Amino acid sequence: MTRRPVIRNTAAIVGIGQTAYAKALEPTAWELAVDAILSACADAGVDVADVDGMCRFTAPFETVSEAMLVRALGIRELAFFAQAPHGGEALGAVVAHAAAAVSAGLANIVVVYRALSQSKGGRFGRADRGGPGGAAAEGAGDIVVPEQDNLSFAWPYGLMSPGQLFALWARRYAAVHHLTEEDLTRTLGTIAITQRQYANNNPAAMMRDRKLDWETYAGARMISEPLRLFDLCLENDGACAFVVTSAEVARTLRGDPVYVLAATQTLAPYREPMGIYVPGELLELFPSAAADRLFEQAGVTRKDIDVAEFYDATSYMPLRSLESYGFAADGQGWRYVLEQGTGPDSPLPVNTHGGHLSEAYLHGMNGIVEAVRQLRGTASNQVAGAAVALVGAPAGSATILAR
Amino acid sequence: MAIVPGMTKLTAPYWDAARDGRLVVQECRSCGRLTHPPLPACPDCHSTELGWREVSGHGTVYTYTVVRHPTHFAFADRVPYVIALVELAEGPRLISGITGIAPDEVRVGMPVRVVFREVADGVTLPYFEPAP
Repeated sequence: MTRRPVIRNTAAIVGIGQTAYAKALEPTAWELAVDAILSACADAGVDVADVDGMCRFTAPFETVSEAMLVRALGIRELAFFAQAPHGGEALGAVVAHAAAAVSAGLANIVVVYRALSQSKGGRFGRADRGGPGGAAAEGAGDIVVPEQDNLSFAWPYGLMSPGQLFALWARRYAAVHHLTEEDLTRTLGTIAITQRQYANNNPAAMMRDRKLDWETYAGARMISEPLRLFDLCLENDGACAFVVTSAEVARTLRGDPVYVLAATQTLAPYREPMGIYVPGELLELFPSAAADRLFEQAGVTRKDIDVAEFYDATSYMPLRSLESYGFAADGQGWRYVLEQGTGPDSPLPVNTHGGHLSEAYLHGMNGIVEAVRQLRGTASNQVAGAAVALVGAPAGSATILAR
Repeated sequence: MAIVPGMTKLTAPYWDAARDGRLVVQECRSCGRLTHPPLPACPDCHSTELGWREVSGHGTVYTYTVVRHPTHFAFADRVPYVIALVELAEGPRLISGITGIAPDEVRVGMPVRVVFREVADGVTLPYFEPAP
């Protein structure tokens, strides 16, 4: 079925904002969200009181509700609000909802935000800290895992974190495509080290001052084989936000709006995030139709993409995303990484802010903020002449932006 | 202390069978499809006539990871341990653990067979060990 490209060039991002990113910040997630949204509105040149739409990830991922923000920010009324489920898969969805809302005239100024306080709340890497993967209370006796999303079939075996799931994927990838241990280490390490180098030049990155060389990477402790410490994302506090409005309004606000060419969602049977019970090959993260739909709606081809910000809870995900989004052939992504790389001089610079591995973990949303900077020409690791950017989650929920 | 599965009407028969030393998989009585984890209707023919089929307990390691850093206090003294996705001879895959072999010796494609481990009073989990 051909879908009418309802979003293409009808909506734009006109403001971006972010807080400091750190392992532990004094403010609460609520305070961080307020800070990031005020920054984004100031950047857009809009009065926050005029915000009339909000999009966010569902709880328990996003703990700050739009109601809390309406109260805190003195917003008169929201005419539109929407929440997207499935963790990182909300990445394209929240943009799609915001862009569709302004395109359809349901709202005029829509704020999209993500606030995290892992130091005070649930941690993604600790299943016993009330994280979004589910919580089991500590008690004297056995811990009963309520059945939800197949967790009761996974937790009793100690499969409790996204990092462990991506380790299963990475191991399968190596087996199917005949990578040696060294091939796999060099591929994942190239991604992690390249992203660290980007972060070393990004003043906002948590890892700005920490160099990462091969000896340190390869010598780091294994967390969940084959993933080492530096293959896994950071855990941190912080928030970021951006403002979406119609193309017409955008042009009255600034000379360099960043247009939404496409924003898509995808959910195929058993391909929900963390879905491990795929009927076919486990490596097929999403139907190729999802990527095709993204490019079709955007009206651009892979060759048009100047920079990509791929969701990277682990270093495996940018590798597989290069294949899933069609920048490398299936099973050839690892050779592509080893031969071309993902650095500033590669055909497709990836995660130019340092990504979740080295800037901060904001559930992919900091990738959108970075893409906007790239398209404005204001990024720390600016890709010369960047005109079109892709921000993608591992299972196919993605956004294509253009200046 | 163990982490044990909460049971629902849909999932309890799987764990009840494990307690009796049998590995079962949900089977559609209409079209014969095997499904794991169980669903409220057959995703192929949409029949709700669903039952349970005892399977051979033989399979292969589809993929695995050796966990060296625990993410839950209940596993703090169990690292390193192996999480595996086992592909049963009958087709379905299930998450389990690998026992009876050093974690470093587990390989993708390795033939395995089910063993049952009582982890708490009245709670038995299917695990897998290398098949001879």
